[in-house]
Amino acid sequence: MTSPSLRSRIWKNRQIYLFISPFFILFIIFQLTPMVWSLYLSFHEWSGLGDPKFIGLGNYRFLLRDSVFHSALLNTLFYWVANALLIIPLALALASLLNVRWLRGKRIFRTTVFLPYVTATVAVGLIFGMLFDYNSGLVNDLLTRLGFAAVPWRISTQWSKLPIVFLIVWRVTPWHALILFSGLQAIPPDLYEAATMDGAGALRRFFSITIPSLMPILFFSFITLTIDSFRIFTEPYILTQGGPANSSISVVQYLYINGFSIFKLGLASAVGYALTLILLLVSFGQVMAMRRQSGLTQVG
Amino acid sequence: MQPTRLSRGAIYSILLLWCIVAAFPLFWMVNTSFKLPGESFGSLTTLFPRDPTLRNYTQVAQLVPLGRNLLNSIIVAGVGTVVTVFLCSLAGYAFAKFEFPGKNALFFLLLATMMVPPEAGVVPLFAIMRALGWINNLLALIVPTAATAIGIFYMRQYISSFPGEVMEQARIDGAGDFRIYWQIVLPVITPALGVWASLAFIARWNDFFWPLLFMRSREMYTLMVAISVLPVSEGLATPWPVIMAGTTIAVVPLIVAYLLLQGLQREGLAIGAVKG
Repeated sequence: MTSPSLRSRIWKNRQIYLFISPFFILFIIFQLTPMVWSLYLSFHEWSGLGDPKFIGLGNYRFLLRDSVFHSALLNTLFYWVANALLIIPLALALASLLNVRWLRGKRIFRTTVFLPYVTATVAVGLIFGMLFDYNSGLVNDLLTRLGFAAVPWRISTQWSKLPIVFLIVWRVTPWHALILFSGLQAIPPDLYEAATMDGAGALRRFFSITIPSLMPILFFSFITLTIDSFRIFTEPYILTQGGPANSSISVVQYLYINGFSIFKLGLASAVGYALTLILLLVSFGQVMAMRRQSGLTQVG
Repeated sequence: MQPTRLSRGAIYSILLLWCIVAAFPLFWMVNTSFKLPGESFGSLTTLFPRDPTLRNYTQVAQLVPLGRNLLNSIIVAGVGTVVTVFLCSLAGYAFAKFEFPGKNALFFLLLATMMVPPEAGVVPLFAIMRALGWINNLLALIVPTAATAIGIFYMRQYISSFPGEVMEQARIDGAGDFRIYWQIVLPVITPALGVWASLAFIARWNDFFWPLLFMRSREMYTLMVAISVLPVSEGLATPWPVIMAGTTIAVVPLIVAYLLLQGLQREGLAIGAVKG
C-alpha cells in the first residue's frame, strides 16, 4: 500500500474518524494521561504542594514492607476467593432453577431476584450495617432467638470481612445468574434428550453437558468477578470503614486513604500501578489456563 | 418428562425463599424508615411500624440539602445517559458498518482499555479535574464516561447483526453517513438503545467513588454521597430510621423505574446481560 493512497483513504473516511473520536479523545485526557503521570509520580514523594521529590523505587519498597498494605492485599484476595466460591455456584443454581422448562411465573421470579442488583451499593451498605449491628441488628436478634451467641460482625477483626462478603454476594449474584441463564438457553435441548436416551441421570447430564457447554460463559463471569473484586471500595468504606484495625480494608480503599486523606500522592500512585499489574497478571493467568483446555480457544 | 410432585415443590420453595432473601432487606429499609426513633428495628416482632411517621424524611431534608442532591443525581444520570447512548451508538455504527485504515487496531485498543482499572490513575485525574475547574462541577461526572469502551463494544455487536442493504439504498439516494445513522440506524436499534440507556442510568445513579472524589461541597453531592454522610451527621447513636429514610429516597425511584420497565417490556428487558 503506497502512502498517498493511504492518506487519501484516511481523508475519504474523515467523517467516520469523527464518529469514533470522542472515545479516544476522552481516553487520552481522562485515562492515558493520568496513567502516564501516575507512573511518574509513583517514583516520587509528593504531597500535592511544591515539586515532587524523586525517590526511585522507594514507594514500591515501602509497599513491600507496610503491614497495612499487606492487610489490604490479603483482604482483597479473601474477598475475591470468597466471592468466586459463593457467587458462581449460587448463580449457576439460580440460573438452572429459572431455566426449568415447566416453571410458571418465570418473569416474576426473574424480576424479584434481580432487585438487589438495581439497589445502589451505598444503600445496601447502610442497610446491611443496620441488619448486622451488634446490639440492635436483626441478624443477631435471630441468632440469639435460635440459641446462638450474638456475633460482633462489624466490630471484631475476626468477623468484619464476612458482612462485606454477604453484601457482595447478595447484590451481585443475580447479575451472574442472568449471564449464565442466557448461556443455558443457548444449549440445544436435543443434547439433553440424547443423553437421557443413553440413560444418563440428572446429575450426570449436569456435569457432562451443562458445565462443559457453559464453560465460555462461566469464564466470562469469573473474569468479571475477578476484576470487580480487586476494585472493591464502597462496601468496606460504608460498612466497616476498613476496620477494625484494618481487618477489612481493601486495596482501592488503601489507595484512597493515601491519596485523599493523608496526601501521600506518590505512594497512592504506586498502589494504583501495583493494582493494575496484579489485575493484568491474574487476567492473563486465567486466559492462559483456559487456553490449555481444548475447544475453548474462542473465549480468550 | 413430567416432574415429580416432590421436585416441583422443592424448586418452587427454593425460588420463593430466594425471592424473600432478595426482597427482604429492601422491605426492612422502607419499613424502618417509617418507624419512630424509640421503636425497635432489630426484631421481627415489630414487622410493621406501630405508628408510621414521616418524621425521618423531614429530618433527612434538614441534615442534607436533599432537593439539590436529588437534582444533581438526576442531571448526572439523565444527561450522562443521553450523551453516552448517543456517542456509543454512533461509534458502534462506525465500527460495525465501515472499513477504514486502522480500524482493527483502534478496536483492539478500545477493548484493551477495559482491562485497566480506572482507579489506578486517580491522583493525577484529580489534578486534571482541578486544572479544568471541574471539582464541584457535575461535568466531572458526565464527561469522562460520555463514551465508554464497553458501550461502544455492545453497540457494535448489536448493529453488526443489522443488514446493510437499506443503508446502501439510502446512500444511493444521496444520504450522508450521519443522516443514515440518524434516520435509518437509530430507529432500528431502539431495543439496544433501551437496554443500554437503562444500564447506563443505573450505573450513573448508583455511582459512589467518583462523586465522592470530585464533589467536595454538600450542595454538589449526589444522593449517594449525601446518604453516605448521614451516619456521621448526628451524635453517637446511629440514627438508623433517619438513614433508612435517606436510602429509601435514593433507592426507590430506580426500583420503581425498573419494575415499570419490566412490566412494560413484553419480552422482559434483558437487563444485566451487559454492564453499564
